[in-house]
Amino acid sequence: MSDRYDIAVIGSGPAGLEAAINAKIRNKNIIIFGNKDFSAKLVKAPKINNYLGFYNVTGKELKKHFEEHIKKMEIEITEERIDAIYAMGDYFALMVNQKTYEAKSIILATGMQYGKPIKGEEEFLGKGVGYCATCDAPLYKGKIVTIIGYNKEAEEEANYVSELASTLYYIPMYKGEYKLNENITVINDNPVEIVGDDRVNKLVMKNQTIETDGVFVLKDSISPSQLVPGLEMENEHIKVDRKMQTNIKNCYAAGDCTGKPYQYIKAAGEGQVAVLNAVENLS
Amino acid sequence: MVREIGGSNFVQEVINSETATVVDFWAPWCGPCRMLGPVIDEVAEEVGEKANFFKINVDENQAIAQKYRISSIPCVMVFKDGEVVETMVGFRPKQDIQTILSRHL
Ligand SMILES: Cc1cc2nc3c(=O)[nH]c(=O)nc-3n(C[C@H](O)[C@H](O)[C@H](O)COP(=O)(O)OP(=O)(O)OC[C@H]3O[C@@H](n4cnc5c(N)ncnc54)[C@H](O)[C@@H]3O)c2cc1C
Repeated sequence: MSDRYDIAVIGSGPAGLEAAINAKIRNKNIIIFGNKDFSAKLVKAPKINNYLGFYNVTGKELKKHFEEHIKKMEIEITEERIDAIYAMGDYFALMVNQKTYEAKSIILATGMQYGKPIKGEEEFLGKGVGYCATCDAPLYKGKIVTIIGYNKEAEEEANYVSELASTLYYIPMYKGEYKLNENITVINDNPVEIVGDDRVNKLVMKNQTIETDGVFVLKDSISPSQLVPGLEMENEHIKVDRKMQTNIKNCYAAGDCTGKPYQYIKAAGEGQVAVLNAVENLS
Repeated sequence: MVREIGGSNFVQEVINSETATVVDFWAPWCGPCRMLGPVIDEVAEEVGEKANFFKINVDENQAIAQKYRISSIPCVMVFKDGEVVETMVGFRPKQDIQTILSRHL
């Protein structure tokens, strides 16, 4: 079994980084997940004038400052994308493909980049709509399955499911060459609504409607309530109190994912509040 | 305690039960099911005599999985007087399961 971290931070934007440095100052055993660029939203910003202490910097410049800061504090970003987090009671299990990390508390700092759900997607979740085709595929043996794929990885899942399903429709939401089994029908159209009675039975697209028993929506990033099952949301944001505590004990959230305004220094401030409360609860 | 059951004793143990019954539909290939297992064990421990807890492997019991139209697992169903009174799809933290169960016990 892997070691159990005191705190796991999910996301490497300003909220996550600020949480990480404060955890380090408090001498906690931490891990932070994210990417080399920290945040696509950071490197894209042309001019930033509202981050105290840094007048008229570009996003790339601010990123460099952040980079030096965490380097000096010996914080390294684990470049992995967390697929799911399970609240096990006295710890959290963080899943990355087949690997599991464990942490006593977690800080969600995932930003806001998951697209809007398709109409009916949330209503039929678990009633024919799913986010992990390979997980539920055996339940669709001999049935009609539709996969809405937002990236190349979805093709692999489609190929696997096509071995079990009677019919597999693949709706690519991106352009490119598709490496799909021959028995898969590709439909180039835009999904509009998932409909059914107590279960999914149709997918309505802009130009046509198909009958289907299941619809899998395979996106790059998933909403926090799917990332952490049981997490309470308020509209599209994670519900937090003044301590940045969510409805799940020892699970905190900070940054854009908790709500507007979407700003760097608000994100950083929340990251700090979240982690200091997490630290306090650990002792 | 959570006991494993199958098609042959489902009616007797679940449908004809006088006590509320919690059934965890799972399969060995399902990651979230493996995580939920120990959580359900703990809940069962705490609930004690007030409810019976079972798990059913959907691979080995496809007829039951189809009858209850299981389309995503883990799926936990609460039965009372032979009827499904609650369906929880996907992993849930212990606290959520306890809250939902407390409505029926
Ligand atoms: C073009 C542009 C200009 C902007 N200009 C300004 C400005 O001038 N001033 C200002 O204050 N704000 C500005 N903003 C807004 C600012 O970018 C955001 O408010 C800020 O980045 C939010 O920080 P965050 O840490 O909450 O999330 P993000 O910066 O979005 O970081 C979240 C990170 O977490 C990662 N992540 C998500 N899910 C997972 C997972 N499951 N596993 C691992 N990693 C994950 C993401 O990939 C991302 O890298 C601008 C935004 C844009 C797009």
